[in-house]
Amino acid sequence: MSMDVLDLYGAAGAVHAVRLLMDEHRDRLVALDQAIGDGDLGLTMPKAFAAADDYAASASAVTPGKMLMQAGMAMAKAAPSTMGTLVATGFMRGGKAVAEAAALDTSGLASFFRAFTAGIMERGKTQLGNKTVVDALDPAATALEAAAARGTDIRTALAEAATAAEHGRTAARQMMSQHGKAAVFREQTIGIDDPGAAVGALILQGFAASVQT
Amino acid sequence: MKKFLNEAERFVPDMIEGILAAHPGRLASVADDLHCLVKGGPKTPNKVGIASGGGSGHLPLFLGYIGDGLLDGCSIGDVFQSPSADQMLEVTRAIDAGAGVLYIYGNYGGDVLNFDMATEMASMEDITVETVLGADDVASAPKTEGQKRRGVAGIFYLFKCAGALAAELAPLAEVKRVAEKAAANVRTMGVALTPCIVPQVGKPGFELGEGEMEIGMGIHGERGIRRGPLVTADTIVDEMLPAILDDLPYERGDEVSVLVNGLGATPKEELYILFRRVARELQQRGITIFNTYVGEFATSMEMAGASISLLKLDDELKRLVSRPADTPFFSQPQL
Repeated sequence: MSMDVLDLYGAAGAVHAVRLLMDEHRDRLVALDQAIGDGDLGLTMPKAFAAADDYAASASAVTPGKMLMQAGMAMAKAAPSTMGTLVATGFMRGGKAVAEAAALDTSGLASFFRAFTAGIMERGKTQLGNKTVVDALDPAATALEAAAARGTDIRTALAEAATAAEHGRTAARQMMSQHGKAAVFREQTIGIDDPGAAVGALILQGFAASVQT
Repeated sequence: MKKFLNEAERFVPDMIEGILAAHPGRLASVADDLHCLVKGGPKTPNKVGIASGGGSGHLPLFLGYIGDGLLDGCSIGDVFQSPSADQMLEVTRAIDAGAGVLYIYGNYGGDVLNFDMATEMASMEDITVETVLGADDVASAPKTEGQKRRGVAGIFYLFKCAGALAAELAPLAEVKRVAEKAAANVRTMGVALTPCIVPQVGKPGFELGEGEMEIGMGIHGERGIRRGPLVTADTIVDEMLPAILDDLPYERGDEVSVLVNGLGATPKEELYILFRRVARELQQRGITIFNTYVGEFATSMEMAGASISLLKLDDELKRLVSRPADTPFFSQPQL
């Protein structure tokens, strides 16, 4: 695989890598979600990414963007929870933003994750700092934009983005939940890991892992 | 909990199977999914499709209004749970007859998330979808935060007006316009006397003491504006009606349609006792009643309680309210 771009096969590989991470972290996500919600997030994320991976493996789409968009549709169908719908929206919006590109370079990945993040913010009617998946995704998109401006290769750029997402996830620990069932707990959510932010960090970790070889 | 159940988990599918069996040919499920329901028979070419949906537990909302002059399809979730975007998309595909689809549903977070998602997925299949939200509950947020208000029984008027115009093969923009006009002119307030029980939970979601009532409670048990001792029917109307009237406002010389809705366990006798006072008070204020609906239009399982909705009419809305409609749960001749 070329390290200059993420082509159709590379994008499918990234989705597959995220799927493996979601499977691996299933119990951790269940536990995180049970602390401030109903625990179903640990079950819906593996389900969502299994559907996306199954689609990606058999995709007839001609560009990575179109494939990622369709993978989002598959996720929405397979995992109709709030988090499933939000992550599916991210893939649909991100994929749409780069639908015409034959392959994604660092700048294409930055566009993908920026639209991914913006789509989730719009659909979830949320913003930075509300202790959500956005708090991991937004720093990652920013890191990719900075890497693109420097002309960095995708392997380095995705590694930096994964680190930024992980920092975002840990920073979200000190935030207070504003959304969904977690909002009921308000102050009690401060100091607790956010399951959504954990999902965001795993998505970037998967993309980064798929190009390290 | 005392309910007619087989298994709590089968509450929704057993209910839908019963409804389909009771009304053969009038309703059909699509995509092999009992949660996706459409009007039976062939589609009318170039008629705007009207879809609604939301959690179960509110019959006749939502699926009870699928039929002539009202809705073309509904997606139904578990009790008080939003259906999925994909289920909404299946219904959208099934009812699109080339003129686009209008979503009319209540303003609840989960429903908005999924219907917006379904809209985006439909657009990828070149189906045009527009949305009008029901947000008629004046007790759910102040008028200045109208976009936060929940949709309750008054959504019936949105279905009625949009459904009547769609039946005349008006284009999507026009059907949307009258739905918005109905939404802008309808206000509702409710009062609860007892809580309801979600079958899979098995116990009430909140307590309401013997001799207590809660003014403004939502149809899922959302907190209202005042809890207090149960007072007379007339006194309750005298608290609720002015809050509705002042909100729009409805004024002397206006003509209205009135809907007194039972929340599930309240008998019609009591609804008419409430309406008696509503009629008297409106007359005293010089507001004319064009027509009245009394019965169950949007329930909350076995909650005892009622809501009062008013729709301010102009010539157009009056004509649309008057049009005939015929569904398994609601029918009216031309008024």
